[in-house]
Amino acid sequence: MSIVALHTQALVSPEADVYLDLLGRALQAARLNNSFPDRRPLQNTLDTLRDALRLGVYGELYVDARAGLPNLASLTRVRTDHEVATESLARMGARAPLEARREEAEVFARLAAKHAYFERLQKLELAPVDHHRVLLRRHDPGTGTAAFRIELTKLDASGVYLRLLIELTQVSSLWRRKVIDLDEDGETAAANEAFRSTVYRCADLDAETLFVRLHGIEGVRVERVARGIIGPALFSLPAGAGVMVRRTAEAPNDALGQAWHAWSLGAGAAETERPELLVAFATDAAAGDIREEKSNDPLSPLLALRLAPAEAARYRSLRERYPFKVFKDRKFVATPGLKAVAQAVCDAAGTRNILYDLRTG
Amino acid sequence: MSSKVNLDVLNRQVAYSGEGISVKSLETEIAKEREVQDTKVDELKGLRERNVEIQGAMADELKKLRKFGDYLSGTATKGGFLAGFKEVLSYIPGLKGLALSQRSIEELLKAQYHLSARRVKDAAEYVDTLKQSEQDLYKEIDRINVKIVEMAKNEREALGYVLELKQAQEALKAEEQAMEAGSVEQRDIQASADKVHAKLAEHSTNVLLYGSAEERYARLKDNTRKLAETIRNLANDIQQYTTAASIKLDMASAQIQAIGRAADASSVMLEMKRSLDVMTESMNVTTQFVSDTQIFFRTNLDTLIKDLDTFDETTTTVLDENLKKSREVEEARIKAAVEKATQRQGAAPAPAAV
Repeated sequence: MSIVALHTQALVSPEADVYLDLLGRALQAARLNNSFPDRRPLQNTLDTLRDALRLGVYGELYVDARAGLPNLASLTRVRTDHEVATESLARMGARAPLEARREEAEVFARLAAKHAYFERLQKLELAPVDHHRVLLRRHDPGTGTAAFRIELTKLDASGVYLRLLIELTQVSSLWRRKVIDLDEDGETAAANEAFRSTVYRCADLDAETLFVRLHGIEGVRVERVARGIIGPALFSLPAGAGVMVRRTAEAPNDALGQAWHAWSLGAGAAETERPELLVAFATDAAAGDIREEKSNDPLSPLLALRLAPAEAARYRSLRERYPFKVFKDRKFVATPGLKAVAQAVCDAAGTRNILYDLRTG
Repeated sequence: MSSKVNLDVLNRQVAYSGEGISVKSLETEIAKEREVQDTKVDELKGLRERNVEIQGAMADELKKLRKFGDYLSGTATKGGFLAGFKEVLSYIPGLKGLALSQRSIEELLKAQYHLSARRVKDAAEYVDTLKQSEQDLYKEIDRINVKIVEMAKNEREALGYVLELKQAQEALKAEEQAMEAGSVEQRDIQASADKVHAKLAEHSTNVLLYGSAEERYARLKDNTRKLAETIRNLANDIQQYTTAASIKLDMASAQIQAIGRAADASSVMLEMKRSLDVMTESMNVTTQFVSDTQIFFRTNLDTLIKDLDTFDETTTTVLDENLKKSREVEEARIKAAVEKATQRQGAAPAPAAV
């Protein structure tokens, strides 16, 4: 077991390199739309982490043992490197003299590698740990009505990486405290701290739960809540000539996690010496313009189906007040060895999901 | 009739290596070599200034973390619960004046974690800079060694030539005494003796200059070596502190991420307190390093800079004392490790008899 701290798994080269390569290619294969966190910065972060390991800037990669994705420490490492890169490069001077002195002492080889790392890094946009944006969609000063889109990208406490998108309309009035403030020109907007924190805290809730929660705020009409979630990623990486295998250490205890656990103990896993990866990409939306209420997510049925009878009746009455529908979906990217695991989970739940191939080696 | 003394010595080319030497050229050469040291000392000055900045920022963050910790452990009751929390929030950049219910503690912790990680990285970046400086100085020592050998060879060459000239001078003197006073032969011998004397004066000066240069380069080398060792010790200390701080921060990140959304609920305040303690510990470790290095600079660098310009005994004493202290610390560490190992060996059960 490679657990080094609470829910933290350490991967070292060459497994870490294989893992980052597979994960990066899985992101590409998943064809993520704008419901998900931006792929490019995340890809840049994975490439940078790979670079850092290859050049010896870091000796290990920290991965969230539950979600199988790079964790807070890993994301922060490259972000802080990005912050110090310009100053460090200025202090180091040109790379050529460092390269020329490579044989002279270990420090010059290390500095040359670091120089190359910082040079590439400083030009990149990296994945944020948290990023909050409020965009003005429409503004009618006459009626005091303004429509906004709120976007929150967040490395969630559960280890998955998600984007939450909320579209709402706010009617301003003198006696009511606004959740979003426009500047004097009516051009830029910022959520007030209480509202911002509510969104931040509730980012891990279902879209429908969040829709109801936000709709309760006076003066706000929510039109859409959508979430795109990257993860969990379940991996199996041969280490030490295939004798040892590094796997997602604390896979979630849901249908996918259980199927994965069964696979990892079974003959399928034992026979393969290839690296294997299965990544889930879930979307979850609640909006007035959704035609049919449905969950095509094998891991997350609709809220109404999960409630006890008494609570379900109350929820039905609540829903009658808010005219919206919910649609959930989940797609997977899997290497050949794990495709069957994802397929079996979908079959058991009776859902039809997109399953993209991820080739190894 | 001319002198019977062999005067070939006057026409012999003396094989000094390098460019010719004079008092001025020696001073220029030495000054050039000292420039490298001066540059390194300037770098250390810059490091000291940056250190002071980092120390200020770290002390400030440490204060925030302590306040945060005190608040969470319930020891900060002055002014009431809400007032205390507001005060704590006001320390976090960009969050001044916010109310208790308005902030996500998870978000605050992540922001503070980022700041702390950045601070440790700032300090750690100096390790490589110092190691590079150390290598530069060792390279400089190699260059000075070449000079020392060159000066020693030239001095030996000059000494040999001076001896030859001296022998010729004595032979001419003896020959002159046998000649009739005022004779042509005597005048001829005197002319040769004058030439020998002029050469003797020139190369005796060379003996002094090359000898002096050798000694000065040797002293320069000694000081350069001491400076390199001082820088190496400092780099090692910084590396030790920042590595420890970095490990603590990695642990803190895992705890922050793990408590996640639950951090906003009062039931996990204790967990959060632990997380903050780990962060505080890392900041303590780093702040201690900054304080230590600052004391080091305050007590040594000014003297070091001043005395390096003159290369007098005080410089040597300061560096000697510094290195002596470092060696004492190192020896104490080794002694402690050996004692521990010996104790462990003593405590281990005796192997079973075969």
